[in-house]
Amino acid sequence: MREYFEKITKELFKNINSKEILIVNFDAEESTFVRLNKAKIRQAGDVKQISVTLSLLNKEKRNLKSSIRLNGSIDRDISTLIKTLNYLKRELPDLPKDPYLMYSNSIHSTSVSEDKSSIDDREILDYIISSANGLDLVGIYSSGYIYTGFANSLGQTNWHANFSFSFDYSVYNKNNNAIKLNYSSKKWDKSKYDIILDNGLKKLEILSNPTKKIETGQYTVYLEPSALNEIIDMMAWGGFSYKSNKIGTSPLHLLNKKERSLNESISINENIKDGLSPNFNADGFIKPENISMIANGEFIESLTSPRSSIEYSVTHNASSSSEYPSSIDMKEGIIKSNDILSTINNGIYISNLWYLNFSDRNNGRITGLTRFGCFLVENGELTSPINTMRFDDSVYSMLGTNLIGLTSNRDLLIDSGTYEERSTASARLPGALINNFKMTL
Amino acid sequence: MKNEFLNQINTYLPSVDYCSFRFVNKYTNILSVTRNVLEPIEIIEDEGLMVTVIHDGGFGYGATSNLTREGILKATEEAKKWANFSKGNLIHQPTPPINTIDNGKYFTSEKDGWAKESNKDKVDYLMEINKALKSKPAISNWGASFRYNKVETLFTDTNGSKFRQNISYILPQLIACAEYKKQIQTRTYGGHAHARQVGYDFLKDSDLINRAKVIANDAIELSMADNCPNKKCDVILAPDQMILQIHESIGHPLELDRILGDERNYAGSSFVNLAMFGNYQYGSKKLNISFNPDQESELATYNFDDDGTKAEKKFLIKDGKLERPIGSFYSAQRADQDFVACSRATSWNRPPIDRMANINMEPGDSTFAQMVSSIEDGILLETNNSWSIDDYRNKFQFGCEKGTLIKDGELKEVVKNANYRGITKEFWHNLEMVGDKSSFSILGTANCGKGEPNQTIFVGHATPSCLFKDIDIFGGES
Repeated sequence: MREYFEKITKELFKNINSKEILIVNFDAEESTFVRLNKAKIRQAGDVKQISVTLSLLNKEKRNLKSSIRLNGSIDRDISTLIKTLNYLKRELPDLPKDPYLMYSNSIHSTSVSEDKSSIDDREILDYIISSANGLDLVGIYSSGYIYTGFANSLGQTNWHANFSFSFDYSVYNKNNNAIKLNYSSKKWDKSKYDIILDNGLKKLEILSNPTKKIETGQYTVYLEPSALNEIIDMMAWGGFSYKSNKIGTSPLHLLNKKERSLNESISINENIKDGLSPNFNADGFIKPENISMIANGEFIESLTSPRSSIEYSVTHNASSSSEYPSSIDMKEGIIKSNDILSTINNGIYISNLWYLNFSDRNNGRITGLTRFGCFLVENGELTSPINTMRFDDSVYSMLGTNLIGLTSNRDLLIDSGTYEERSTASARLPGALINNFKMTL
Repeated sequence: MKNEFLNQINTYLPSVDYCSFRFVNKYTNILSVTRNVLEPIEIIEDEGLMVTVIHDGGFGYGATSNLTREGILKATEEAKKWANFSKGNLIHQPTPPINTIDNGKYFTSEKDGWAKESNKDKVDYLMEINKALKSKPAISNWGASFRYNKVETLFTDTNGSKFRQNISYILPQLIACAEYKKQIQTRTYGGHAHARQVGYDFLKDSDLINRAKVIANDAIELSMADNCPNKKCDVILAPDQMILQIHESIGHPLELDRILGDERNYAGSSFVNLAMFGNYQYGSKKLNISFNPDQESELATYNFDDDGTKAEKKFLIKDGKLERPIGSFYSAQRADQDFVACSRATSWNRPPIDRMANINMEPGDSTFAQMVSSIEDGILLETNNSWSIDDYRNKFQFGCEKGTLIKDGELKEVVKNANYRGITKEFWHNLEMVGDKSSFSILGTANCGKGEPNQTIFVGHATPSCLFKDIDIFGGES
C-alpha cells in the first residue's frame, strides 16, 4: 500500500508549479466486519477502501481541497487525481484569500509500519461462536489494516500503518441484563479472550439476581474506566479546544478561565506517544508526544490547531482542525481495586454510562443513563442489578467537590467506532469514586 | 454511461441462489464561512460497490472501491466465501425476493441545480449571511454553511431487477452565539432539522439574511434571560423540536432490528415487543405516525430501498394504536411482520439495516394560536440542542435552544437552558392537541447514527407543532 501511495504522490507533484503547494492526505483500510446476535452471524463481509484528499494552496494564501475515493488500480487512479487537481487549479483563483492558512514547511518525514498480521479471522470467529454456545452474545468483530499517509510537494512524507482487531460485545441473561466486554489487540490470544469472557460471566451471575428499583436522589457511585470515559468524552466536545474555549462554547470554558476548578487529583494528557493514532496531523505538522491539558485540577494547555494559532496569535501544538483529543491519558489515583466496594459501602457500581449530552453546557452539566452491568452495593458487596437510571450532574461536582478518588489501576480503552472508517482513538483511564452523584429519573 | 455501467456489471453476477450489486456514488460539497472568513471548501467524491450473496443457506457481502472487472469479481468471491462461512451459523436464513423491478427510477427535483451557481456566488451569499449574523456587538461567535449531498444508487440482481435513484439534498446551517456575564447562549437555524431534497433555488428563496438577524437577536435575548423554571406544565413543541421527539421516542423504538436484538451491543433495544403490534395503545388518539417515502422534497423520499423493496406510505401508529414496525423485507421474515421499504445503508461500504426513512406526524386540526390560547401555564420550546434517551427508549431528556413562557393564553418572556424530561409511554398519552397544516413543516436530519459497523444516514420528519399536558421542565445552573 505504501508503494502505491508513493507512486501516486510522485506523479501528482510533477504537476505542481513553483507558486503552488500540494498536500496529499491518504486513508485506506482493509477490514473484515462480522456482526453477531445470539452468538450467531447476523452480517459478515469485507470492505476495501482507499481515499485521497488533495489540498491545493497557492502563495496568495488561497486553498481548496477535494477528497476522492480511489480504485486501487494505479493508472486509473492517477488519471482521476490529475483531473481533480486540474479542477482545483481552475477554481482556486476565484476564491477569497484564507487569512488562517498554515502548512508545515519544515520537512519532517516519519514512518510507522507493522509486520503483516498472521491472524485468521475465520478461525477466530469459529472459536468465538463455539465458545459462546448457549450464551446470548451480541456484538461486532472487526479486524484489518488501517493506513494513513501524508505527503506535500515540499518533500515531506509521513506514513502510519496499523493492524488491529476488536471484538466489542455484550452477553445478556434471561432478565435482559447484560455485561459489556471488549477484547482489542494486535495479536489474538485465546487465553486472554477466555479470561475476559469468564470474568464477564461471573458478573453476569450477579445480574441474575432480581433487579432492585432505585429511586431518584444522590448516591455514592463507582464509575468503571469505561463509564468515566463517557464523561471525559463529553468534556472533549470542545472542552480541550483552544477555539471553543476562546469563543465560549466549550463545556470547560469556566475551568479554562480559572473561574472553576476540578479536584486536584484530576490530570489529563493528550498522550500521542502511547496511543494508536498517527503522530502527524492533516497539515503535516508533527504532534508533541505529550500535552498536559489538565493538571492537578487546573486547566493547563488547550489543543490548538494551526488555523487557531493564526486567528488568535498563539502557538499551535499540531492539533487537528477539530481540536479534539485522540489519545486521552488520565492520571491514576491511589484507591486499590480491592478497596472499591468497601469504599462505596452503600451505593451503586456503574460499569457503563450511555447517551450523554449537556443539560447546561456553560456550566459543564451533563446528563446520561446507566447501561450494562450496574449494581447496587450494600455493605460493601455487589448485591443486585439496578433499573436503568438517568443522572444529571456537573463535571465540577463529579470530578471536583464530590470526587472521593481515582483507582490505582487504569484500563486502555480502544475506540471500537467504525463511522466511515475504523477509529484509531484510544483512552487510558482509572475508575472514579464519587459522592452525591445525582440520579434524576 | 450509467446504463452502460449497469449492463456491464450485470454480466459479472455469479451463479448463486441470489446476488445483488449495489453501486453508490456520493458527492458532498461543504462551504463554510465562520466569523467572516471562508474555511477550506470541501469536495468529497466517493464511489464503490457492494456485492451481496445469498447461497445455500449462507449470507455474505464484499464491498470495494475497485470498480474494475477484477475488483468486482474479487469482492464477489469475498461475499461468496462469507456466505459459505456463515452457512449454518446465521441468526436467520434469509429468503431472497422473487419479484423484479424493471428499470425503476427516482430523481430529486432540483429547479436550480447545485452546480449551476459558482463557488464564488455561494461564498458571497454566505458572507452576506455572516454580516447579518454579526449585526450587533453582543454576538461573540457566528457562522454559516451550506452542505450539498448527492447520492446516486444503481442496483441490479440475479432476479433481473434494475433501478437507478438520484437523491440530492441541501442543509443550510446558521449559528449565532451571544455572551453576557460569561454565559454563552447559542441559536441556530438548519443544524439538525432543515435538510431537504431541494435545489439551490430553495436556499435563495429561504430569506436566510432575515433568518440570520432573527437568530442573532434571539441569542442576545437568551443570554440575558432567566433560566427556565423547574415545574410541571403544558408544553408546545415547535416542529424543529417535534422531529427529535418523534425520531428518538417513536422512530428508533419501532425499528424491527432493535426489537430483534441486533443493536443491543450498540444503539440499544426497545421497550416495544412483537406482541404489541396491532393492539398496543402507544399514545393518545391524536397520535398518527406514518412511514411516508412519498412526501415531496422530504429528505428520505425515494422509490426503492437498498434491498430493492418498492417504497410506499404505510401507517405505523393510527389513532394512537401501534400498527406495524419499521422493518425491512428481511427483518419482517424473521419476525413474521408486515414490512416497509426501510433497508438502507449509509453508502456502498456498509450493509443495509432497518432505518427510518420519512417518519411523519400527520397534521391534526388545531391552529398554533388555538394551542397557545388554551394554555394557562406553560412553555413553547423551539430547536433541539440536547438529546438523551435510554437504550430501551423509555427515559428521555431533551434540551432546547429557546423557551418562551405562556401565561393565560399568551406568549410571554423568553427563558434559557430549557430542558424537559419524561418517559416515552406516558409522554405520548399526554398528547393533547396536534397542529393543523398551517404549522406542518417538512424537516429532516442528515446524521442519524446506528449499526455495527457504524453508519450515519439522512432521515426525514414532517410534523406540525403539538401540545402536551403535564410535562416536567427545568433549567440550568442558577
